[in-house]
Amino acid sequence: MNELIAIFLSMALINNFVLARFLGLCPFFGVSKKLGNALSMGMAVTFVMTFAAIVTWLINNRVLVPFGVEYMQIVIYILVIASLVQIVELFIKRTNAALYNAFGIYLPLITTNCAVLGITLINTREAYSLLASVVAALGAGLGFTLVLAIMSGIREKLEIADSPRSMKGLPVAMLVAVLLGLTFFGFGGIV
Amino acid sequence: MVTTIGILTAIAFLFGVLIYLVNRFVPTKVKGIEKTEEITGILPGLNCGACGWPGCFGYAQSLAANPGSISDCKCAVVLQDAERVSQMEKALGISIDASALGKKALIHCNGNSEVIYDYSGAMTCKAATQLLKGYKKCPYACPGLGDCVEVCPQKAISILLDKMVAVIDTEKCAGCGLCIAECPQNLIELVPTGTKIAFLCNYGSLRDIPGREKCDAGCIRCRKCVRACEDGAVEWNKETFLPEFDMEKCSLCLKCTEVCEPNTLADFAKVKTAPPVLLAKFSL
Repeated sequence: MNELIAIFLSMALINNFVLARFLGLCPFFGVSKKLGNALSMGMAVTFVMTFAAIVTWLINNRVLVPFGVEYMQIVIYILVIASLVQIVELFIKRTNAALYNAFGIYLPLITTNCAVLGITLINTREAYSLLASVVAALGAGLGFTLVLAIMSGIREKLEIADSPRSMKGLPVAMLVAVLLGLTFFGFGGIV
Repeated sequence: MVTTIGILTAIAFLFGVLIYLVNRFVPTKVKGIEKTEEITGILPGLNCGACGWPGCFGYAQSLAANPGSISDCKCAVVLQDAERVSQMEKALGISIDASALGKKALIHCNGNSEVIYDYSGAMTCKAATQLLKGYKKCPYACPGLGDCVEVCPQKAISILLDKMVAVIDTEKCAGCGLCIAECPQNLIELVPTGTKIAFLCNYGSLRDIPGREKCDAGCIRCRKCVRACEDGAVEWNKETFLPEFDMEKCSLCLKCTEVCEPNTLADFAKVKTAPPVLLAKFSL
């Protein structure tokens, strides 16, 4: 149990995907202008990460390892994640309109997101069990959501703040990202 | 080697079949989504974001929830296409007055300004205008290096190579306004679709630069357009030294464009028929 908590905290805060591993930077700047959008995106990423972690664990341990083709991991993971997300999107679209409205637009965007591919490859590298993979993916997704929510909160305020003309928009967001990264450095000693 | 290929093929095939099965057998009956999908089909699918929603799908969602909102946030591609408008009327169940809603981009320069030096730097308008306000005699002229051409999702902007000026095909223009932010000279403006007269000069309110000295085609402040107008629709603004057009009085006779010697005033409909010389980015 302690180990699972350690994995969760490590993925969510200490080795945060955006601020420590520099994965998923595109949505970090692209979708962090409004809090609502950021939360939807974060939810979608968490969902896809958890889903992908389970499926790729199964594929890795039941197919790739027994046949000795681990070196094809990246190719097969991309293929599997992309097509599964398509299926899930199709399924949600046809069965649950409310859920589709909540994160329907973001699902196809993250089929080939590096954060999603990253969590599956890290899980494989660390040789986590199925449960540990799911916990790690949940942690990574929630950490991603947290950072995106903080960032969008700050950027909503920055939008109306009186910043120099050349710094408006993306440049000042980059500075904020640096400061955020420094604060997350403070979690380093927890585990 | 063979195992690898086999496994990859098998997985790809498996997922292909899975996608087909889901697509084929999961029922499509979902309340709310159907109408949104129907509207999405009518929209152009450019995802330009001009309507203020995240892509065409987001716009369709808002229309499905509140059909009346089409008069607040509008899609120019739909409004210009009579077929799309009628489809939209059917889908939303309301009547749409297309001519009152749409907007088009217009470049306020006809590019006849003299070239004062050979520019051979980076081929973007933003770089060219940093050096002595551009290589043309008029410091407010279109440099014609195509920054706006690159952003246009409709490929409606082309460059006239003989004048080095950008021209917008008003038939293709969707009125998204993406080009406005790109122009370093602030030449581009969104005007209503029904506009008849185009003022192709950007001297604006600058009194200290009389037209003739800078440009062969700029407004020379002759006020012939004011005298030529029989409807009293053209008035001379004494503050800015420019003609102003009252489109409600205008009877669209186009007499003002005929008397304009430097051809600063032009028929808005003829601006679009300027032959597109070049569609892509180029290097000199």
